[in-house]
Amino acid sequence: MSNSTIPNSLSRRTFMTGSVSAAAAMPLATTSTQAAPPEPAKAAAPRDLSTISMRINKQAYTFALDNRTSLLDALRDHAGLTGTKKGCDHGQCGACTVLVDGKRVLSCLSFAVMNQGRDITTVEGLAPVGGDLHPMQQAFVDHDAFQCGYCTPGQIMSAIGCVNEGHAGSDDEIREYMSGNLCRCAAYPNIVAAIIQARDEIRRA
Amino acid sequence: MNQAAPAPKENMGNPVPRIDGRLKVTGQAGYPADLAVANVAYGALATSTVAKGSISALHLDKARAVPGVIDIVSAGDMDQIDEPKFGNTAASSIGPLHDKTIFHDGQIIALVVAETFEAAEEAAMLIRADYAAETPSAGFDSKGVEMEPAAGKSPLFKEDVKAGDFDAAFQSAAVKIDQKYSTPTQHHNPIELFSTTAMWQGDQLTVHEPSQNVTGWKTELARQLKIDPANVRIVSPYIGGAFGSKGPMTARTAIVAVAARRVGRPVRCVVSRMQAFNTQTYRAETRHRIRIGANKDGHITAFAHEGWEVTSRPDAYVVGGTSATGRMYNYGSVLTHVSLVHADRNTPGYMRSPPETPYVYALENAMDEMAVALGMDPVEFRRINEPEKEPIGGKPFSSRSLIKCYDQAAEAFGWSKRDAAVGSMRDGDWLVGMGCATAIYPTASAPCAARVRLTDDGQVRVQCGSHEIGTGVRTVAGQMAAERLGVDIDKVTVEMGDSALPPAPVSGGSISTASVCSAVMKACDAVRQKLFAAAIAGDGPLAGSGNARLEMDQKTIVASGGKSARLSDVFKAMQVGAIEEYAEFAPKDSTPEALKKLYAGQPEFHGGDQDKDSVKYAFGAEFVEVRVNSYTREIRVPRVVGAFAAGRIMNTRTARSQLMGGMIWGIGQALHEATEIDRRDARYVNRDLQDYLVPVNADIKQVDVILVPEVDPDVNPAGVKGLGELGNVGTAAAVASAVYHATGKRIRDLPIRIDDLIG
Amino acid sequence: MHPFLYERPTSVSAAIATAAEPGARHVQPTQANTQFIAGGTNLADYMKLGVAQPERLLDLNNLAEPALRQIRISDDTIRFGALVRMGEAADNKEVRRRCPLLAESLQLAASGQLRNMASLAGNVLQRTRCEYFREISWPCNKREPGSGCAAMEGVNRQHAVLGTSDACIATYHGDFAQALIALDAVVEVEGRRGSRRVPFAKLHRLPGDTPEIETDLAADEVIVAIAVPFDTWSRRSRYLKIRDRESYAFALASAAVALDMDGEMVRQARIALGGVATVPWRARAAEAALRDNVLDDKSAAAAAEAAFADASPRQHNAFKVPLGKRTLVRALLETRDMKV
Repeated sequence: MSNSTIPNSLSRRTFMTGSVSAAAAMPLATTSTQAAPPEPAKAAAPRDLSTISMRINKQAYTFALDNRTSLLDALRDHAGLTGTKKGCDHGQCGACTVLVDGKRVLSCLSFAVMNQGRDITTVEGLAPVGGDLHPMQQAFVDHDAFQCGYCTPGQIMSAIGCVNEGHAGSDDEIREYMSGNLCRCAAYPNIVAAIIQARDEIRRA
Repeated sequence: MNQAAPAPKENMGNPVPRIDGRLKVTGQAGYPADLAVANVAYGALATSTVAKGSISALHLDKARAVPGVIDIVSAGDMDQIDEPKFGNTAASSIGPLHDKTIFHDGQIIALVVAETFEAAEEAAMLIRADYAAETPSAGFDSKGVEMEPAAGKSPLFKEDVKAGDFDAAFQSAAVKIDQKYSTPTQHHNPIELFSTTAMWQGDQLTVHEPSQNVTGWKTELARQLKIDPANVRIVSPYIGGAFGSKGPMTARTAIVAVAARRVGRPVRCVVSRMQAFNTQTYRAETRHRIRIGANKDGHITAFAHEGWEVTSRPDAYVVGGTSATGRMYNYGSVLTHVSLVHADRNTPGYMRSPPETPYVYALENAMDEMAVALGMDPVEFRRINEPEKEPIGGKPFSSRSLIKCYDQAAEAFGWSKRDAAVGSMRDGDWLVGMGCATAIYPTASAPCAARVRLTDDGQVRVQCGSHEIGTGVRTVAGQMAAERLGVDIDKVTVEMGDSALPPAPVSGGSISTASVCSAVMKACDAVRQKLFAAAIAGDGPLAGSGNARLEMDQKTIVASGGKSARLSDVFKAMQVGAIEEYAEFAPKDSTPEALKKLYAGQPEFHGGDQDKDSVKYAFGAEFVEVRVNSYTREIRVPRVVGAFAAGRIMNTRTARSQLMGGMIWGIGQALHEATEIDRRDARYVNRDLQDYLVPVNADIKQVDVILVPEVDPDVNPAGVKGLGELGNVGTAAAVASAVYHATGKRIRDLPIRIDDLIG
Repeated sequence: MHPFLYERPTSVSAAIATAAEPGARHVQPTQANTQFIAGGTNLADYMKLGVAQPERLLDLNNLAEPALRQIRISDDTIRFGALVRMGEAADNKEVRRRCPLLAESLQLAASGQLRNMASLAGNVLQRTRCEYFREISWPCNKREPGSGCAAMEGVNRQHAVLGTSDACIATYHGDFAQALIALDAVVEVEGRRGSRRVPFAKLHRLPGDTPEIETDLAADEVIVAIAVPFDTWSRRSRYLKIRDRESYAFALASAAVALDMDGEMVRQARIALGGVATVPWRARAAEAALRDNVLDDKSAAAAAEAAFADASPRQHNAFKVPLGKRTLVRALLETRDMKV
């Protein structure tokens, strides 16, 4: 795996999807970040760009970003990782769910600049290109746990978080703890079935 | 057991997993706003804050001063292009930047283009307008609305259907009801945000935008921009939910295209969730009056359905569901009338089962009331009013398996355990209610083209400009090709969602599977014929098998006599590496211009109540159990069972998912969904997913789908009836009936909420 | 969104010193140039909508004081550090065992993701979700003092029936705050003028004529901890939340109840009501009605009547009065019947 850094000079204008596609299958990040991460370069004026470093799917990234840029937009527009979706941009749908230091959060409500030093996992980081799917991804395929597929990356990241948090004990618990992820195609019963399959596989592993 | 993959019954295809499943679970499926575009600038909309009047001054200085702002497109900047033409393709005739008139709240007043998303958003929020505002009319009962009969105002709604002498029959009926029902404004709210990315290369325009109608949009966008349609390409490889919202092209598409031309670089505009409520279409609120008269034995003698629908000032958008409700049962006499109410609103549009969702809701809620009035079991009431022929034109149904659906669903649901007495069933603190309703949706198809290529290694590529909105059409088109060409599904790739591909009709009206599969089948059969001809030719590997029946299986051509030839040998004999065939399908009653219209993006629909020989509908029966808390009156739906018959089922997995999703939509329509409007200002109030409620995972417990076998070769060559819209028809009425059964309160205005049951 | 400076203070004192810019003491925290952010789930949303427009954000997530991230449980108190996340507190087994009401009020709020993000201090300071407050083109006295209240005669189904004024009927939507006010929690605050302990009941201000004043805090003050005393009623406590859908929705009505019972008799009841009031709402009249009474259907109903005696419903939210009463009755009876 390369330890690639996106050069600051590579602006979104020249950045093309694919240049940092997931390099290898990686277990989910479980690092807990309690200590203060290194201080990012301070912007002197509100419109100045801040320099922010974070790890995304086990690769190091450094960005020069507007303070207003959400983690979601940083992933999509600056890292080229468009697997994470924008469904409402206001924390109401769950489509933008990613893991930050192993915990599921809504990337639309998190300013990228607040994620200095964090470890981010997106849907692209779950399985190597062309390789075996993560058990949760495979379970979603097996149980037809999506139709249009747009909420799916968020559902999958949330489902992994739900299992990791120990809230996938019963059908009802899964339903409750997955209720932050809207599926307008309404694949809900299939999503629950998929999570049960993946949960059991993850537990066995 | 995997419930997602039901075992196929008669006339059903295998539950093949979606061929794009891996792409979707890995984040690699490219929805339009995901597609990488070099040097893209960001667009953000500014929208009006009044619903009626005109802009007297637009203040752009603050917005222009935001660092990174490149350009602002506003009223007057669209003068060189034509206004949208309301109809099948353009969502509305309102061209928001063509002049300064405001027709509705949230109308686009400017598009900011900037170097970054953040700068564009900041600038758009700094745009202020002064308005010469007038008092708007919000909808029903508002001062200043204009009402007119709907019949003939839209090509989709030609007449108010009727049969016999309703007045006399109703007057003399032994048992009758006369009730009013209503449904609220609803928004599709697909989870994918609406977006347009436009880029020019010389005079060639490419647009990335989620679309259910790439061919129609290409021609309409070219017309608005006054350019050759050959120079326009619409790209929409994956669509993040549509439900009708991405069928009509809205005014934004041309505005972003104009902006991209002005700034000389690609422009991407992702519309906020809030702004989408006003700049996209919606399901209009409806009102209904239903009268039913019957004999004491329960036979209906008189049925009248009057409907009222809200639309915008300039456009006559009408759904007119009386065409279906008027044909549902053996009524004796039928009287219908639909009216349009023009208000200061944006133009409504198709939303999942556009006519049937509101109209069948009213009919089926009324049917339950009638069953109660007759003291009759609601299933039995429907059974004895089952028609031999449709009551309006006296035509037969091409197939109608409604009673089979009722029988199978009732059995699975345990309807026989229902105590008919209101309020009699209880589980602890919860009142239990059970209800049922009929689902109906017209079976239509439209002309469609497809290209199929087979190479000598057994790889198949299918190309068709249809749209994968989540229905699974990409998968079933692949299955059709795999089946006809005798290869495994993993050897098939299917390209869709691009106006450069062979044209397909709008993915709406549940026509896609029928239309696309019929075209793919035809192209595959042309490939087969070429192969077979070469195989049995004098120097071919199956020479002498001329009278045998030939089939394709596992990269082999098998003759009925037992001889077989490898695909690669036939290709060798033909001295080609690939066979590619282009086919055009047209439904059997098509006009001579049908295919020409397909290429022009205005395909004819056939089927439903339009055909000469028969009427064509798919049917289903839905049963729901509701629970209402005896203290606090919240309403939950722990169980739904639906049985559906829809001709050939291509794939039991995707079929079940669509029907299940449809029924859950029905639960949402019954209990949650409503766009609230502030009637003083004709402005929507709950324009987001925080306040516009749709069901969440915890709302949905058990949902059972029963696929009832049905063979109907008359509907189309593929024998397929659509079912994407069937599932959510009827559900809300079943819920309303179950709530009545639990509580004794008949709620006729949707959604049914605590407010209605408490006090 | 309005552009802003971003800083990451590493100690509470540094955060306060930075926030204490000239004039800060006279500005509402929600209007201040410099504002604190922790989870961001409320503030980032309102910045996107243009409701909040800080010039500078101080990110509190790097404050070094360990206590800010700790839940400390002693015999008589639970002390939640301000930066403890909602999800962590809801999942804490000891919290759940010793005071179910606290855990349930957190668990029934928001979604798994939001609970992982939102800090407890930020949660109690969340601003109303009134639709007319959220959309800046409507008149709103809370957002823009003196501009009027569009909700008063508008779509006010989710609005408050208790604690309203002629200026504002916006509901306080939080759940955790109902548990805290019922349980006599104390908020530990540090500011430029030192530290102080604010009874939770004094933290939020009724809208009155000044709905823009939402809390008792100054712009240079931060909440560092929330302390909840354990008492005889802590274990017999629960949170009942009634909403349009089963999850991920604000309360139409909710009740936080804690009971100290002597057999059938109520020694003390602690009651708060959510979804129906403009601020976290302690129902003291209902508590008084139950004191030294047998708790049964009748006394519960009487308590509920007392709780809503001063309700002032509007056109679309009148149902909240009977709903609020029944929610309280149900919560009281369910809490009575808890096995503890």
